[in-house]
Amino acid sequence: MTLHFLIHQTICGAIAAAGFGVLFNVGFRSLPWCAASGALALAVRTYCLGLGWNLEGASFAAALTVGAAVQVLRARTKISQNALDVVGCIPMVPGSFAAKAILSLFALTSVETVNATETLVTAMQYTLRVMFTIGAIGTGLAIPTLLLRVRVTR
Amino acid sequence: MDNSNPEDNGSAPELEPMAMVTLDAGRMLMEAGASATSINEIVNKVAHGLGAERVDLRIGYASMAITVGIGHAGITRMRRVGHLGVNQQLDLELRCLADRVADGQLTTEQTRSELTRIATTTPRHSAWVMAVAVGLACAAFGRLLGVDWLGTGPVFLAATIGQFARRELLTRHVNVFIAATLVAFLSSLLAGLGARWLGCTTLTTAMIASILLLVPGVPSVNAQSDILDGHPTLGSARSVSVAVTLIFVAAGLWLSQVLFANWH
Repeated sequence: MTLHFLIHQTICGAIAAAGFGVLFNVGFRSLPWCAASGALALAVRTYCLGLGWNLEGASFAAALTVGAAVQVLRARTKISQNALDVVGCIPMVPGSFAAKAILSLFALTSVETVNATETLVTAMQYTLRVMFTIGAIGTGLAIPTLLLRVRVTR
Repeated sequence: MDNSNPEDNGSAPELEPMAMVTLDAGRMLMEAGASATSINEIVNKVAHGLGAERVDLRIGYASMAITVGIGHAGITRMRRVGHLGVNQQLDLELRCLADRVADGQLTTEQTRSELTRIATTTPRHSAWVMAVAVGLACAAFGRLLGVDWLGTGPVFLAATIGQFARRELLTRHVNVFIAATLVAFLSSLLAGLGARWLGCTTLTTAMIASILLLVPGVPSVNAQSDILDGHPTLGSARSVSVAVTLIFVAAGLWLSQVLFANWH
C-alpha cells in the first residue's frame, strides 16, 4: 500500500461521507465533521487492509475508531453522535457486494444457468461478506457507546 | 396489588395531552432516522419534563405506544409512524427541544406548538444541492470500488439524475420499493452508457457505483444497534426492510444490465 493510495481512499471517504451528510440533511456547518468522520473511517480501513487484514476485520477496526473518536469529540460537534458515526461509516457499507450477491442469486434462477455451483458459491460468499461487514460496522460503532453508557450509569 | 404501576384509567386529565405530545416527539424522531435507544432516551426526557412520573415506551416499525403515569393514574396511547427517512437537522432540533422541556421551560401546549413549528420550519437542502452532493458521493464510492477516472464522470451524472428522479417519484407518493427499482434502472443504464461511450474499462463497477445512493446504510446500521440495545423486534423489522430494498434495487440494476447486454 502506497501513501498515495491511502490519501486517495481517505479523500474519497471524506467526499462520500459529506455527500451522504447532505442527503441526510446535516447542516452545512456540520458537514466538515461528517467528512472528517468518513476520512478517518477509510484511512483506518485502508491501513488495516494494507496490513493484510480481511475486509470485515478492517471495517470493524475502522468503525471502532470512528465510534471512539465521536465519543471524544461529541461535545464539540453540533450534530448527534449517532448521526456522525453512522455517516462516517456509510462509505464502508458494502452496497456493491449486496448488489452482486442478489444478482448472482437472480442468475441461479435463470432458465439457462451456466456453472450453477460456482454461481451459488459466489452468491453465498458475497452474502456472507455483506452480513459480516455490516455486523462488524454495527458492533464497532456500538462498543464505544455501550462502554460509555456503563461508565455513566456507574 | 402493586401500587407502583400506573393504572390505565386515564383519571388524570393532564395525562392525555402529555402522552400525545410525547408520542409526537418520538414519532418525529423515528421518522428522522433515530435509533430506538435515542428515541427512548429523548421521549423519557420529554415526558418527565412535562411532569410524568413513570414512562413506558414501545417502539415498533410502523407504530409507537406509550404509557405515562402520575401517582396512581396512568394512560396508554398509540400513534402511527410514517415513512422512515433520515433528517439530521430535524433530529437535532428535537434533541434541543427535549433539553428545554427537561429543564421545565415549556408546558405541554408550548411543547406541542414547538413540535409543529419544528416540523414545518426545519430547513432542508435544495434539490439541486442534494442531487450534486449525492452525485459526488457516488463518484467517490466509485473510486473506492475501483472505477477508473473515465467512469467517474458518468457515475456522477447518473447518480445526480437518479437522485432528482428519486425525489420526484417520492414527491408523487410512488411506493418506495418501486421507486428504488426505477431509479436503480435509470442510474445504472445512464452510467453504463456514459462509461462505454468514454471507453471506461470498469463498466459493471461504474453501473453499480451509480446506484449506491439507494443502499439503505442508516437503517442497516440502526437495525443492528437496535438489536444490540435490546430492541430485537424493531431491529428485525428494519433488517427485513433493508433486505427488501436491496432486492428491488438489484432488480433495477439487473434490468438495465439485461437491456445493456442485448443492446450491444
